Amino acid sequence: MKDRIVSVGYRPLPPAPRRAAPARTIARWALALAWRTRATKVSLGLCAMVVILHVPQLVLTVLVSATAKRFADQGAGGAAPAALNVDTIIGDTQGVLSSFVAAQTYFTVFALAVIAAGLIAEDRRVGALDLYFARPLRLRDYVAGKLLAAWAVPALTIVLPFLALWLLAVGVTPAGLRASLLWLGFPGLVGALLASVVLATTVVGASALGERGRTIGVIYVFVWLLLSAVGESLAANGFFAAGYLSPARDVATMIEALLDVGPPSVAAASLKLRGSVNPSALLSALSLLGFAALGLGALLARLRREVAE
Amino acid sequence: MLLALKGVSKRFGDADALRDVTAAVDGRAIGLLGPNGAGKTTLMRIILGLTRADSGAVEVLGINTRERPIEARAKLGYAAEGPARIPGLSGVESVAYAAELCGLDRRAALLRAHELLDLVGLGDARDRRVETYSTGMHQRVKVAMALAHDPALVLLDEPTSGLDPDSRDELLDLLVDLRGGGGPAFILSTHLLHDVERTCESCVILEGGALRFAGPLSALRRPDLAAYDVRVDGDEASRRRFVATLEGAGARIERGRRAGILVVHLARADPAAIWDAAAGAGVRIWHLDRQADALEEAFLAAVARPDAAEGSP
Repeated sequence: MKDRIVSVGYRPLPPAPRRAAPARTIARWALALAWRTRATKVSLGLCAMVVILHVPQLVLTVLVSATAKRFADQGAGGAAPAALNVDTIIGDTQGVLSSFVAAQTYFTVFALAVIAAGLIAEDRRVGALDLYFARPLRLRDYVAGKLLAAWAVPALTIVLPFLALWLLAVGVTPAGLRASLLWLGFPGLVGALLASVVLATTVVGASALGERGRTIGVIYVFVWLLLSAVGESLAANGFFAAGYLSPARDVATMIEALLDVGPPSVAAASLKLRGSVNPSALLSALSLLGFAALGLGALLARLRREVAE
Repeated sequence: MLLALKGVSKRFGDADALRDVTAAVDGRAIGLLGPNGAGKTTLMRIILGLTRADSGAVEVLGINTRERPIEARAKLGYAAEGPARIPGLSGVESVAYAAELCGLDRRAALLRAHELLDLVGLGDARDRRVETYSTGMHQRVKVAMALAHDPALVLLDEPTSGLDPDSRDELLDLLVDLRGGGGPAFILSTHLLHDVERTCESCVILEGGALRFAGPLSALRRPDLAAYDVRVDGDEASRRRFVATLEGAGARIERGRRAGILVVHLARADPAAIWDAAAGAGVRIWHLDRQADALEEAFLAAVARPDAAEGSP
C-alpha cells in the first residue's frame, strides 16, 4: 500500500522565542543559492588554485632560505649569524604573501562578479524586496545580510587563505625568526581585511544600481580593471595622484605603511621587494574609505527610495 | 479591532491612489473589493508599511503600523500580487526561508514549510524550483509563505488572478478551510465579487481611491435594492405601456439575456410595483423572479454612488 501524505489542516505555531539574526539568515541563503551555480564553483575554484600555487612557493621560499642560513651558520662555526639570509627569509616571505594578496584580489573581483553582483539586483528584478520587507525585517537587517554574504567571498578567498599562508610560513620558519615573521603578517592581514571590505561594499552598492546581476558583474569587473590599469599606468608615468584610483594600489600602500611601523628589521628586510606605492598612506586610506562609502551610499540611497521605513 | 484606517491618503504624482480612507474592519475573512486601479494594492502596501501614506494612520490589531512597523509586520502575512519569488529556491526552501526571516529556527522553519505545503496542496512539488511552477502552484506557494510564521492576519493580493477555474476553486476552498479551521484572519484583495462572496463575511469596497463601503456582506446586500426577471404576455402596445408605467415609477428596465425577459431594477425589494404596472397596462405576468446575484447589483450600486461609504460593522 502506498503511503499518502494528507494535510491535517492549519496548525498554529506553539509560542516559542523567535531568534533575531535575520542578517545571518539572509547571508546564508544567498550563499547557499549562489553555490548551486557552476560559475560560482568555477570562480571559487580559480581562487583556490591561486592559494594552492602559493603554498609550495611559500614553503620552498622559507625552507630554502632557512637551510641556506643553517649551512652558512655552520660554515661560520657559529661565530656570527648569517644576517643576510635572515633578511632573505623575511623579505621573500613578504614577497610571496604580497603576490598572493595582489593576484587573489583580481580573482576575487571575478568571483564577486559571479556570486554577489546579483545580490540586490536580482531581488529587485523579481520583486523579492516585498518578500523581505513585508516581514519583520529592518532595512539594516537586509543591508547587513547582503553585505555579510558579499564579504564572505573575499573573507574566504583572501583573508582566511592569507591567515593560513602566514601561519604556515611561521610554522616552517626556524624558531629564532618566528617573532619577526609573526609581525610581518599583521600589515598583510589588515590589508586583506581592507581589501575585503572595499570589495564587498562596492559590489553590493553596484548591485543595488541595476536589475541584472550578470550585467552588473561584467561592469563591476570592467570598472575594477580599468581603475587599476589607469591608476597604475598614470602613477608609473609620474602622475602620482592617479594611483589613488586603484584600490589594489591603495591597499598595497596601506600594507607598506604598516610594515614601516613595525620592527626596523622587518621593514628593512621587506624593503627590497616592495613595489611602487602611493606617496601618502593617509590619502590611500581615505581613497579606500571613499570606495566603501560610495558602495554603501549607492546601496542605501537606492533601497531608501524603494523601501519605505 | 482587526484593521482601523484613519484618513489614509496617498498620491502618486497627480493621481490620487487613496483619498481619505477611513474604516474599521473586524472579522476573520474580509474582502477588499474594487475595480482595477481602485487603490487595493496601495492600501495593502500601506498596511504593511511597504508604502508610506501621505497622511492618515493605520492600525493592525491595535498596533500603529507607522510607529511600530516591525511589531505590526510580525503579525502580518503577505502574498503579493507579482512574482515575489527567489529563483533557484524550491517550494519548500522558499517557505522555510520566509519562516526563518520571521525568526523561526532552521529546523522549525523546515518542519513548518513541509506542513504548509501539504496544506496548500503542493506536497508533491515541494522540491521543484519555484520558477518551474505553474501560476496556480505559484499562488499557493505564496499563500504558504504568507502563513509561514503563523500570522494573525494575512493579506492576499489578487491570489486568484491568472488561475484557471479549477485552480481558482481549489484556492478559494483553501481560504474557506482556513477561515473555518482555526487559520489566521485574512483580507482578500480582488476585483472578483464571486471570490469575496464565497470566502468572506465582510468587505471593503474601494473605487477610484475612495471608500465606498465597509461592512458585512449582509449589509451590502441591501434589501431595498433588487432586480427582477420579468416575462409578460400581451400585445406590443400593452407591453410598452407596462414599461412606461414602471419607468414612471422610478424603475430601470433593460433586456435580459434570454429572449422575452425584461430585467426590472427597483429601488425597493418589493415586486408590488410590477404587479400594479402589469394590471394598469393590461398585461399578464408569466414569469417573475428576483435575481439571485443581488450582491453584484449592490456592489455596482456601491461603486456607482460617490458618497455611499458606510460605517464599520
